[in-house]
Amino acid sequence: MSLPQTTHIVIRNDIADLAAVTSAMERVGAEYDMPKTPLFQLQVALDEMVSNVIKYAWPEGGAHDIEIRITARDEGVEVEIIDDGRMFDPRDAPKRDKPLPGERPQPGGVGVQMTRHLVDRIDYARIGSRNHTTLTKLCALGPTAASGEQT
Amino acid sequence: MNKTALRMEDSHAGPVCILSIGGRIDSGNAADLLDRLNGLLAAGEKTILLDLKEVLYLTSAAFRVLLVATDEAERNAARVALCGLAGQVRELFEMGGLLEAFTIHGSREDALNRL
Repeated sequence: MSLPQTTHIVIRNDIADLAAVTSAMERVGAEYDMPKTPLFQLQVALDEMVSNVIKYAWPEGGAHDIEIRITARDEGVEVEIIDDGRMFDPRDAPKRDKPLPGERPQPGGVGVQMTRHLVDRIDYARIGSRNHTTLTKLCALGPTAASGEQT
Repeated sequence: MNKTALRMEDSHAGPVCILSIGGRIDSGNAADLLDRLNGLLAAGEKTILLDLKEVLYLTSAAFRVLLVATDEAERNAARVALCGLAGQVRELFEMGGLLEAFTIHGSREDALNRL
């Protein structure tokens, strides 16, 4: 199949809907023979970013749509997350402070920090009243890429 | 049920309750893990060993649950330890800066010798 190919899904801002995003990503991974390690890394990053949108984008609450476009390209997979919540550029999120000795780390900010490590690029644009956050994971796709990998 | 779904199974080795976890732990199912851990603590378990050997990946939602459960254990004079952190999973703990936040053993056997 010639690339790029885009899979498009829309979910509600409900944490239960994240399962649909995970399944869609799994299907794309299987369809284009994405190797397991980059697939899992992208799954984690996607979970972090979409759950952040669900939890923080609409402080006033209410039902909202989140659009997700997963694009398989020759050089990797790109995921665009689109929401009409308050402006949030994940690239500006503050770095976490190290916990003081003997203190347990606080969970906040871990997700964005992990996402920075897990993907090759995070892009962001505010277009009209919408956030467009794009995660790019570079990796070879295709049967040779998937089969040459240790599981 | 798909092959990456969260799986949990508990067993006992002497006084240690071992919870073997498999599949993925993410925002969608982390609450199930917390329910299970709270259930074990409520049932009076004092030493819970989480074996993560079969875990495919986990997100910060899993770390949040593990931190909450560790605190809850302390309030119950109990403890939670982890073992079986393989390549990818260990890397995720490192990325989250959370390797030092938990009691982590190597294999299940190592853990049982020390707990």
